[in-house]
Amino acid sequence: MSDIVQVPPVVAAVAPSRFRRRVLKHKGLLIGSAIFAAIVLMALLAPFVSPHDPYAQDLTNRLVPPVWYERGSWLHPLGTDNLGRDYLSRTLYGAQISLLIGLSVMLISGFIGTGLGLAAGYFGGRVDLVVTFIITTRLALPVVLVALAVVAMVGGTLGIVIAVLGLLKWDRFAVVMRSATQQVRSLDYVEAARAAGASQLRIILREVLPNVMPHLIVVGTVEAASAILLEAALSFLGLGVQPPLPSWGLMISEAKNFMFFSFWLIAIPGSALALLVLAINMIGDGLRDVTAPDSRS
Amino acid sequence: MTFFSTRWLFAAVLGLAMAAGLAAPAEAQKRQNTIRFAYDQVPENVDPFFNNVRIGVIIAHQVWDTLIYRDPKTNEYRGQLATAWRWIDEKTLELDLRRGVKFHNGAEFTADDVVFTLNFVANPANRSTTQSNVNWIDRAEKIDAHKVRIITKRPFPAAIEYLAGPIVIHPAAYYQQVGPKGMNEKPVGSGPYRVVDHQIGRSITLQRNPDYFRDGPKPQPQIERIVIRFIPDRQTQVAEMLSGGLDFIMNIAPDQAQQMRAVPTLQIVSGGTMRIVFLNFATTENSPAPQLRDVRVRRAIAHAIDRQTMARQLVGEGSQVINAICFPSQFGCDASQAPVYDFDLGKARALMAEAGFPNGFDIELHAYRERNQSEAMINYLRAIGIRATLRFGQYAAMRDQVRANRAAMAHQTWGSFSINDTSASTPVYYKGLDDDISRDPKVIELLERGDTVTDPQQRIAAYREAHRIIGEQVYSVPLYNLVTFYAASRDLEFAAYPDELPRFWEMRWK
Amino acid sequence: MFSYTLKRLALAALVALAVSALAFVLLRLSGDVAIAIAGEGARAEDIAAVRQQYGLDRPLVVQYFDWLGRTLTGDFGQSLYFRTPVFGLIADKIQTTLILALAAILFALALSIPLGVMAAVWQNSWIDRLCLWIAVAGQALPNFFFALCLIMVFSIGLGWLPVSGTDGWENFIMPTVALGYYVTPPFMRLVRAGMVEVLNADYIRTARAKGLPSSTVIIRHGLRNALVPVVALTAVQLGFLLGGSIVIETVFALDGLGYLAYQAIAQKDFPVIQAVLMLLSIGYVLLTLAADLVNAWIDPRIRVG
Repeated sequence: MSDIVQVPPVVAAVAPSRFRRRVLKHKGLLIGSAIFAAIVLMALLAPFVSPHDPYAQDLTNRLVPPVWYERGSWLHPLGTDNLGRDYLSRTLYGAQISLLIGLSVMLISGFIGTGLGLAAGYFGGRVDLVVTFIITTRLALPVVLVALAVVAMVGGTLGIVIAVLGLLKWDRFAVVMRSATQQVRSLDYVEAARAAGASQLRIILREVLPNVMPHLIVVGTVEAASAILLEAALSFLGLGVQPPLPSWGLMISEAKNFMFFSFWLIAIPGSALALLVLAINMIGDGLRDVTAPDSRS
Repeated sequence: MTFFSTRWLFAAVLGLAMAAGLAAPAEAQKRQNTIRFAYDQVPENVDPFFNNVRIGVIIAHQVWDTLIYRDPKTNEYRGQLATAWRWIDEKTLELDLRRGVKFHNGAEFTADDVVFTLNFVANPANRSTTQSNVNWIDRAEKIDAHKVRIITKRPFPAAIEYLAGPIVIHPAAYYQQVGPKGMNEKPVGSGPYRVVDHQIGRSITLQRNPDYFRDGPKPQPQIERIVIRFIPDRQTQVAEMLSGGLDFIMNIAPDQAQQMRAVPTLQIVSGGTMRIVFLNFATTENSPAPQLRDVRVRRAIAHAIDRQTMARQLVGEGSQVINAICFPSQFGCDASQAPVYDFDLGKARALMAEAGFPNGFDIELHAYRERNQSEAMINYLRAIGIRATLRFGQYAAMRDQVRANRAAMAHQTWGSFSINDTSASTPVYYKGLDDDISRDPKVIELLERGDTVTDPQQRIAAYREAHRIIGEQVYSVPLYNLVTFYAASRDLEFAAYPDELPRFWEMRWK
Repeated sequence: MFSYTLKRLALAALVALAVSALAFVLLRLSGDVAIAIAGEGARAEDIAAVRQQYGLDRPLVVQYFDWLGRTLTGDFGQSLYFRTPVFGLIADKIQTTLILALAAILFALALSIPLGVMAAVWQNSWIDRLCLWIAVAGQALPNFFFALCLIMVFSIGLGWLPVSGTDGWENFIMPTVALGYYVTPPFMRLVRAGMVEVLNADYIRTARAKGLPSSTVIIRHGLRNALVPVVALTAVQLGFLLGGSIVIETVFALDGLGYLAYQAIAQKDFPVIQAVLMLLSIGYVLLTLAADLVNAWIDPRIRVG
C-alpha cells in the first residue's frame, strides 16, 4: 500500500468557537467558499435568469461574439456558439451539469470509499487485508482508460458518466478513511465506548465517523474537482457527456475547434470551469488547515 | 476586456509568428520538394480493397493504377492500364492492356495481374470490404498476355465506371504470395508514387516513382515525396498548418476555413463534393427503435429538419439540398417523383401526435463525422419532442453497429467512391446488402433492375421509381452534399475536385 | 525483510490476477465478441463458426484461463481492426509512452522539489503561498486545454517547437510539460511537509545553532530525509502517468500506448484494449512493489507494520 496520501494525526474535534474563528481568519477558505456559492447560485437560478433556452438553435445567428465586441449585442451577452445557441444560457445551465457531475461522483465514490476504509480501519485483521487488496487492485487500473472503454461500450449518457467515475474514484476515500479510522479506533473514548458495550455500528457512526469527517470532506473536495476535470477529458475524446447537454467540459471541447481564432468561445467555459475547480480546491485546502491541530496563522 | 479580444490575440499570435519566421519551414519543404499531409483517420488496411475510408481511396490512386481513367474535369474515360475496351456481349467486356508498365517491385504488368486481382477480390470468401464494388464481377479471363475479358454476373452497364474508380490492379505474383496483409505492410502497385515507409497507425511515406509509364492519363509526378501522417485531433492539424509543420490538410470545418483565410502563409480552397449526407433509419422488425417503424414518425422527422439552412450555414458554399439518396450528377439519380419534405414544425408535430407520440421519445443517433451537423439535427428533433443522444465514433465502429441493427438512426455520409452512377450510391443502402436497414423488397427489386438493365431509359425509370418509394416511405431523410475545404501552403499549386481526391501527381510548387 | 518481501510479492501476484480477470470480464460485457471478430457482413453461420473456432462457446471461466495462459506466453491475440498481432502493435508504441512518462516525472520532480523546499523554508509566508499556487494553478484547466495553449504559444506563436509527431526529442517537450505539470502538486506537498518536519527536528536546529550555513543544512541534512517518501510516490505516479497520457498523446499525435488505446476504443478493438489495460496495470503493480520494497529496505519500521 504505497499510495501516499498524507493523513494528519487525528485529534479530538476542534472546539466550535475556535473553529469558527479559524474559518473566519482563513482568507483562502472564505474566497473559495464565496466563488463556490456564487456558482451554485448560478446553477440553481439558471432556469430563471437565463435569457434563452440553452438548446434553442438559430443557424442564421451563429458565432455572434460577446457584447464587448463591436458585433456583439445585449441580446446575447456572451454571444452564441457554432449552432447559434445563446452562450450565456448554456454557460449557466452548464454549471448545473458540471456541479451535478462533481457532487454525484463525490457522493458515490465517497460512500464506497468510506465504507471500505471504515471497515478496514475499524475491524483490522482479515477485513483489512481484503480491503487493502481491493484498493490495490483498483489503483492498478488506469482510470481514464477504463472509463473511456466502459463509456465507449455502454454509451455516454450523463448517468453513465457519473456512475463510471463514481465507481472508479473511491480509492483515495478508502485509503484516507482506513488510516484515519485506525488512529481514531485507539483513542480513549472509543475504547471506552467499546468497553461500555456499545454496538459496533453505533461506535462507528457515533464515535468514529464524526472524528474522521474533516478528512472525508477534504478528500471529497479533491475528488469532486478531479471528477469535473475528468469529464472534460472524456468530452475531449468524444466520450463524455453527449450533446446537446451543456456541460462545461463538453463546451470546452467543442469550442477548441475555434480556439485559434475565436478564443472567447473556449475562454468562457474554460474560465468558469477553472474558477469552479480552483474554488473547490481552495475550500479543500482551507478545511485542511482549519481542522488541523497546528493550524497555520 | 481586451483579454478576450480575438483580434488582439490573433494579432499577437501572428505577430510572434512573423518574428519567429513562420514562413521558413514551408520554404524549406519547397526546397526539399516534400508535401507533408495529415489525415485524422487510420486506414485499417492500405490495400484498397480492404478499407473504405477516404484516406484509403487517396492512397489507392497515388500508389496504384486502374484499368480505365476518368478525367475529373470532363468526365471522359481514357485508358490507363488498359488502352482500349469493348463490350463483346451484354455481360462480356474485353480490354486491351498497356505494354511496358512495371510494378514498383519490377514485375512486368500483364493479363495475369488483372485476372488474379479481379478473381481474388470478386470472391466473397476473401471478404473485400465494399462488396458492392466487386460483386458484379463473375470472373476474369486471360485471352493473351495483353488482353483480358471480364464476365459480369448480370448485365452491368456501370462496369466502366467501377474499373475507373475503386478497382485497382495488384501485381499477381506478389499479391498471391503475401495477400492483403502483406500488401498492407509493404504495398506494391504501379502508380505514380510508391510506398517507401509504412508505420502502421502512424505514417505512410510515398516517393515519386521514377519509372512511371509515360503517355498515360496521369502525368509524371513532380513532387518528390509525400509524407502522410495520422493526426487524430483536427485542432492539432490546424495548429500544424499555422506553424508551418504541414503543407496540406483537408476536411477543415467551414467556420475554421473561413477564419484561416486571414493567414497570409496559407491558401484555402473549397469545392462541392459528391459526398451526400443523409439520416438513415432502421425500419425492419428488429429495429432498435420500434417508433421508427411508423412512417408518420419518419415523415415528422423529415419535416422537422431544416435542410436548406443547414446546407447554407453549416456546410457552406457549394452545398445543395438533395431529395434522393444519390448525388444529382450520377446517372439514374432522378428524384423528380420523390416527395419533398419542407421544413414545417406544425406538420411534424401533428404527425408525431397522430403516430401516438405527442410527447416524443428517447433515441440514439449514431454518427462518425460532421459532429456539429449531428448536433444541429439533435436540436431540430428536440423541437418535436424527440430526445436524441449522440453516439459518436469511428466509421468502422458505426458501420458495425448499423450492420448489426443496433443503430436506430445513423447520420450517414457516402461518397460513392466517386463513381458517377447511381449503382454506386442508392443500392449500397437499399438493395438488401449489408448496410440496408429497411429491406423493402420492392425497392430491392427496382434497384436490381436499374443496376442490370442495359437500356438507359429503363434504368432511369427503375431508379426513379425506387427513389419515389424510398422518399415516400422516408427510409432516410436525404440532406445535402458536403463541401470539402482544403488548406495548403501558399506556394502549392493544386486543384480541388468533386471526388475529394487530392491528386499529388499533378501538384507542383509555384 | 524476507517475510515482508514474500507477503508483498503474494499481494502483487493476487492483484495482477484480479486485474487480469477484470480486464477480461470488462470487455466481455460489451456483447458478443464473435460478431466483432467475424467482421462486417458476416452471416449467422460465419459467426457460429468463429464462436467455435475461438472457443467462445465454452464457459467464461475456461475461456479466461485459456486467455490468461496465452497472454502469459506473450500471445495477446489479433487486432480486430488492423488484423495483425497485438503484441507487435504494442511493442512498437511502448517506448514512446515510457519516454514520455519518465520525462514527465523528471519534470515534475525538477519543478516540485525546489518549490517544496522554498515553501518549507519560508513556511506560512507569501513565498509559501506563491509556491503552492504555481504548483496548483494549472490543474484548474482540463489538460487538453492547457496542452493546446502550449501549442498556441510555443508552436504557432514563437515557432520554437513542433506541434505533433514522434520524430525527435523536440516532439516530447510540450507533452512532457503538459503531463508532468499535472502530477506536480502531490510531489510539492510531500516535499514541503517532509521539509517542514525535518527543519523542526532537533538535529537540524542543532546544526543551525552550530552556525553551519543554512543552505548546507537544508540541502545536506534536510532534503535528503525529506526525499525518502518521494521515492515511493514517484513509482506510484509513474504508474499513473503511463495510464494517464491518453489525452496528451492524442493532442500531440504522439504515437504511444495511450494513443493506440484511444484508437482501439474508438474502433472497438477489444484485444488491443485488453492488452494495453493489462500492461498498464501490471506495470503499476510492479512499480508499487518495487517502491514498497525499497521503502522497507530504507525504513525498517514498515516491515513490521
